[in-house]
Amino acid sequence: MRWLEPPAPAIPLLRKELCELATGNSLWVLTLVLSPLVGYSFIQAVALYTEASRPALSIPELARQLSPFDGILVPTLGGFYLAITLLFPFIAIRLIASEKASGALKLLVQLPYRLIDFVAAKFAALVAAWLIALIPVLSALIWWGLIGGHLDTRETATLMLGHLLYALLIGAISFLAAALTEGGATAAILALSVTLGSWVLDFAALDRGGVSSLLAALSLTSLLRPFEQGLLSVSTVLAMLTATVGFLALTAVWLPPGVSLARRVRGSALIVVAAAIVITGAMQAKAVLDVTPDRRNSLSTGDEKLLGRLPERLLVTVHMASSDTRLIDLDRKVLARLKRAMPRVTIRVAEPGQASVFGATGDENYGEIVLTYHGKSATTRSTGAGEILPILYELAEVGGPELDASESDQPGYPLVADASIAAIWFYGLQPLAFAAAWWLAKRRTLWRRP
Amino acid sequence: MGPNTQVEGMTATASSKTVDALMTVRGIGKVFGDQQVLADVSFEVTSGKILGLIGPNGAGKTTLLECIAGLLPADAGEVRWRGSSMPPARRKERLFYMPEAILPYPDQRTAEVLTFFQRAHRQPPSRLEQLVCILGLEPALTKLVGVLSKGYRRRFLLALGLLAPRPVLLMDEPFDGFDLRQTREVMNLLREEAADGRTLVLSIHQLADAQRICDRLVLLSGGRVRGAGTLTELTAAAGLPIGADVEEVFLALA
Repeated sequence: MRWLEPPAPAIPLLRKELCELATGNSLWVLTLVLSPLVGYSFIQAVALYTEASRPALSIPELARQLSPFDGILVPTLGGFYLAITLLFPFIAIRLIASEKASGALKLLVQLPYRLIDFVAAKFAALVAAWLIALIPVLSALIWWGLIGGHLDTRETATLMLGHLLYALLIGAISFLAAALTEGGATAAILALSVTLGSWVLDFAALDRGGVSSLLAALSLTSLLRPFEQGLLSVSTVLAMLTATVGFLALTAVWLPPGVSLARRVRGSALIVVAAAIVITGAMQAKAVLDVTPDRRNSLSTGDEKLLGRLPERLLVTVHMASSDTRLIDLDRKVLARLKRAMPRVTIRVAEPGQASVFGATGDENYGEIVLTYHGKSATTRSTGAGEILPILYELAEVGGPELDASESDQPGYPLVADASIAAIWFYGLQPLAFAAAWWLAKRRTLWRRP
Repeated sequence: MGPNTQVEGMTATASSKTVDALMTVRGIGKVFGDQQVLADVSFEVTSGKILGLIGPNGAGKTTLLECIAGLLPADAGEVRWRGSSMPPARRKERLFYMPEAILPYPDQRTAEVLTFFQRAHRQPPSRLEQLVCILGLEPALTKLVGVLSKGYRRRFLLALGLLAPRPVLLMDEPFDGFDLRQTREVMNLLREEAADGRTLVLSIHQLADAQRICDRLVLLSGGRVRGAGTLTELTAAAGLPIGADVEEVFLALA
């Protein structure tokens, strides 16, 4: 009899994980919830888009403002985001907790696989689960195409990438929660406290500045925002990937039985430090790609070229409360674009002591934006790029860029359509198809029989 | 003769056989909270033999097996393989432990789980077919693991254990759940495995079963080894007449 075993093949392990995924209930419950949720979001989005499109059909200026990305894609994926946040953790947790509860884990870790193989196979099953959960979204996009809607490939792919990274991060957090706890219920509480806690952080940041704003930047929800604006941020992608790999590595540390607490803590500390270093490094990456066809997140190409050549550091001091909507508008339309275009920019928000609903609190400087460049300063209260950039050019003593007429030549995509017929698919046929798949999965499996 | 004397006697016996020892368990200790579950547990396992780990419920047999298999961190002690230290992370290269109270993959069909283990161990399909035949698992193959009767569940677990091509198999209560006839069949199967060169360490609380199948015994009580050796050696150590059964020996030593 031969005793020393060669490494085990990967396919049976992957097949086993897929089988566990298919025979579990959580995946199918998710799809059954997602179908009407995504369908409702899509049908409502089309109805609103149609209302906005009616006047735009005769007014080209209005038509240019209509983007299917903002009007259809992002709202449709809103329902998907909700379901992934609340239900995806259960799918991930089941992949680990069921083996812990049944005792199968004790057998599994004795098989000739490496720990990383187990975690990788479960992660692959999680990707498969996300792809299955994506079916309602893909069917919405197909409906949109069938009724004559337009989609930009780069925008769509960027948003999908953001949702994939978000789901995988949620899944990796859930894996760790399942590895850390003894029962699936406790793991679910732990995972949901992280995902829902992110929402709380996000809401808290709406009304307060300072520390809560900093914390909100760490929330999972905020990670999706660049993708929802049509921005592909290298630092966000790297940070999300690193965090996901970090949580998976922590899962591999905490999953196997028989490891002493001291060893687990040492391993965890190493992973956390390594992940923190990589994420800190990733956050320094400034590369952000505006994938929108009309470059609506960016300054004009001429402005960007000119600003990119300004050698000195620009200091922008904004006298506004963090909760002031003018600051949010200024940040999105001017400051964020300046940071991407210029090599050296520092933004300072000089908050008043206490902001009221009326904005100013006796501070006569409230609302001022002070630009300082090359030792010279200028002040404005305008939050538009059209007013701020000329001031900056004047401070830098350069003439403004030449206008490129082709950049403002995007036609826009107004569409008057009726998607109510899609309700039959989203509320009836698609859930039925998922229910049938559920039934079949319970009867058939992917494993081979002897 | 008291327990201390027995442990000393056991150690002396074991020392004389160190050269033959396939695996040596030395000074294993385990504490849960303020309870000492295992204390300085030491014994040797000889190649191709069946070693019975016997003792009452709560003696620490399962904890000991899990510590040996590397599935539970021991607070003290070590396991050596042919004289060399075998750290917990490397034990799965030599050992396979089959726990007692588990129900792996209850939502999957028996055949599918068996096939997964057969393929993971890179065993030929004929090996699985042979085990299914010997263990009489055919009627259970299409059933979900979760609905198997206790007897079939035990046979299923036994098949999973025997599919692992490891030189040492650690099995927790392998005869629990079997009737007399089934127990005899399983014992024959395990003897064949031992004859084929496999070493078995069986945790057994039914002393009669242990007496029937084991070549050597380790008596565990209160987390301590009260005696180790063949039944003849233990009988002599207990000061009992030759022919005394294992129950009398155990009561004398425990």
